Amino acid sequence: MRSLLAGRVGSQVVGSLALFLIMVLGGLLYASVGSVTRDILVTQMLINAMMVVGIQLFIGNTGILSFGHIGFAGIAGYTFVLLAMSTEWKQRVLPNAPLGLVDISLHPLGATVVAVIVTLLVAVLLGFGLVRSGARSGAVAATVITLALLFVVHEVGTVYADLTGGRNGISLSIGVLLEGRTWVYVALFASILGSRLFKSSRVGRLAQAARDDDLAARSVGIDPAPGQMIALLLSVAIVSVAACLRVFELGTVAPSTFFFDYTLLTLVMIIVGGRKSITGSLLGVVVFTAVNELTRSLAGSGSGAGLLDLVLREGLTDIVLGAAMVGFMIFRPNGLIEDREVDDWLRSRMRTEEPRPAAPGPAPVPAPATIRATDVVVDFGGFRALDHADLEASNQHIVGIIGPNGAGKTTLLNVVTGLIRPDEGSVTLKDRSIAGMESFSIARAGLARTFQTMRLFPSLTVRENVAVASLSAQGHREVGWRPSVDELIAHAGLWELRDRRARELDYGNARRLELARAAALSPVFMLLDEPTSGMSDTESLAMIDEVRRMAECVGAGVVVIDHDLGFITGICDTIHCFDQGTVISTGTPAEIQADPAVQAAYLGVTVEA
Amino acid sequence: MTDLVQTLIDGLGRGSIYALLALGIALIFGVMHLLNFAHGETVTVGAYIAYASLVEMELSWWVTAILVFLGAIAISVVIEFVAFRWVRGTEDFTMLLTSFGVVFVVQAFFVMYAGATVRSFPRPEWADRVWQVGDLNVGVIDVVTIGTTAISLAVTAYVLRRTMFGTSLRAAAEDFDAARLMGVRSNRVIRQAFIVAGALAGVAAVFYLMRTGQARPVVGLAPMLKGILAAIVGGLGSLSGAVLGGFVLGVTEVVLRAWLPEYLVGLTDAVVFAFIGLFFVFRPQGLIPVEAGERV
Repeated sequence: MRSLLAGRVGSQVVGSLALFLIMVLGGLLYASVGSVTRDILVTQMLINAMMVVGIQLFIGNTGILSFGHIGFAGIAGYTFVLLAMSTEWKQRVLPNAPLGLVDISLHPLGATVVAVIVTLLVAVLLGFGLVRSGARSGAVAATVITLALLFVVHEVGTVYADLTGGRNGISLSIGVLLEGRTWVYVALFASILGSRLFKSSRVGRLAQAARDDDLAARSVGIDPAPGQMIALLLSVAIVSVAACLRVFELGTVAPSTFFFDYTLLTLVMIIVGGRKSITGSLLGVVVFTAVNELTRSLAGSGSGAGLLDLVLREGLTDIVLGAAMVGFMIFRPNGLIEDREVDDWLRSRMRTEEPRPAAPGPAPVPAPATIRATDVVVDFGGFRALDHADLEASNQHIVGIIGPNGAGKTTLLNVVTGLIRPDEGSVTLKDRSIAGMESFSIARAGLARTFQTMRLFPSLTVRENVAVASLSAQGHREVGWRPSVDELIAHAGLWELRDRRARELDYGNARRLELARAAALSPVFMLLDEPTSGMSDTESLAMIDEVRRMAECVGAGVVVIDHDLGFITGICDTIHCFDQGTVISTGTPAEIQADPAVQAAYLGVTVEA
Repeated sequence: MTDLVQTLIDGLGRGSIYALLALGIALIFGVMHLLNFAHGETVTVGAYIAYASLVEMELSWWVTAILVFLGAIAISVVIEFVAFRWVRGTEDFTMLLTSFGVVFVVQAFFVMYAGATVRSFPRPEWADRVWQVGDLNVGVIDVVTIGTTAISLAVTAYVLRRTMFGTSLRAAAEDFDAARLMGVRSNRVIRQAFIVAGALAGVAAVFYLMRTGQARPVVGLAPMLKGILAAIVGGLGSLSGAVLGGFVLGVTEVVLRAWLPEYLVGLTDAVVFAFIGLFFVFRPQGLIPVEAGERV
């Protein structure tokens, strides 16, 4: 664990510093050979970079697309101006400002602090809606909520003129502007570093797991909500500071300062390099600052040269940005450098040999425990998937579930792991009811599962996949015995592949990783849904040993669904045969194979040698 | 009582437009899980068609209405063909940003070739007329909007329920993969969904433009947002929910406009959005949820 998190902080700091220096030195170099306008451009680029880092923190780690961050920026920007402008100036331009604002004037630093706090309060409120809708009905609803925030801020800015100066906005006052770039440097570096550290932190990793696969994350005990909330608050804090700097630099704020155009610009910057990567997002900032300069100078040149004039005109920048957005989504949705960071590259250059961990000894014999599902009924519309089904499994045996397609095997597993709420019946683990609990709570209580259609965290590495499960399990349940992440990986035969991303694994290794990830929870039971599906006969027979080995090293009981009779009779002590939503036979493999009811329902249909 | 009826008529008039847009959005979401931010661009294109037709060519509103309607269908299909077809089946994130990008391309196109300024065109002279029925003031435009919407919805319902084309569309909207396995042709069914959605948006655009009489590059944003919110309030992907959501949104707006203290009336939309945010905290699945059982 230490090697995964604490040990790498050094390279992350170096990586963040490298990114920061590249941005700043590159900018200074560009400014040094041009006019004063270039100097302003560089300041703006660095502020945009900070804004982008802030937005990327949320989007990149949670996978939720937010249009609302520029709305948050608007809240911060207005708050800053309202607090920082002088009282004399305020009496002239906003004489009717409410809340006694007319008499308040703060130092810019104080105004920034208050602006950040105010914006964070709004973010907490919005976060509750966001996290709930994001958790329940897909990221789409969450995105729309953020879009609504953008509109609300714009509308309040436009309409509530007593406070905001209306459509034309308010200027900070005459002659007060951001001087020098010291604060920009400090804030930008802090943002990059903070975001980079968050990305590798415990919360960050858990959030990325939920981003990659919400369902799989819940099945290893991750509640996505806190991670999303924390990411939101951190990113809003960064965005708020960037907004204050932007307003301070511009000397004015208006509804259009933080609206669609700026949303488009920042989002394009984020996606071009790669939305999951801080390095990528900063690359996008550089690229689009350049593109923006280019189109603006071209459009401004208005040479009157016939055909070119048709293209080079106002609106060109937006069309380029919009087209870039669509183009990248079609051809390279994960951006130029996807989810890599500078420090990944640094680390790969400095890699030291890691000794392969020894195999973990077998876990002590676990205390007896039982899963009991009694009289479970599940209706899907008119179809009764489970019809008073029962299941009892002890962790002293390996229990198998067989049955023809549609017999309700996976449905039962989904009921037990909390993905489906049963219409009737009870489910207990160690005589404690778990029916109706959230699936992540059930995972924390000690039920780990795998999926028929394999659900890994594709953009995390092998090691991170297992580490995330292990991290999420710690602190939720006392287990006497817990092999380390590296031991589990080596034990599953994945040691050489530990730094590969899960999406790069071949099928068999991906199955092994899913097994190792489930074992990392040190569960009471591992529930495996067709672990041999898509495997050849030899591979499935080899799976018998692998399942046993992983279960033994964490002391977990096993319940396994499978179609492969060679596998299931080879591994199980007890088998339940399902048909039409209910158990039709229970017994040892030999008894099941001899049972005429089983033969009629199952073997009769698919004749096995 | 009179107040209530009055509110209802005003609200349904407003809500009709949202309902038509929301239905199209829900339909497209159903067949390809795409939340179409570019759906409002049917209104933008319609607005410039209306300007060209009414002001530059001096045609009548009857002809204009037909042109706007056809233009909306055309742009809907074109956007599908140029952009959405290529991101089908990708992550939510990718599709959301694609449709967001399309909005900007269309808008920037009009900024470039028509300018960012407002272009006004005459509204039909009957649009401001009001019928006095007892104590009620019934706006002619509300009656016409509600009537036409009712007919459009009825036709859509008939098409979706009674024709082969509608059956395959609904099947695809409910379970795209299964529908494809059953022989529904995916390219065709998606194009058809965009045609139907474009047609519904075309009707909405006609009445929206009759009320506002303005063309600007950003004219489609407000109706788009309302349509999307209505679809989400209704329970994304649920067709009847989307229509219901549209009417609920319209009535809520009118009620708020009537009851909010004067200094907040300008912020009606903001208050509505806040309500919707709150609504999601308590009912994230929407009014009429779709059974979105993920297969595992």
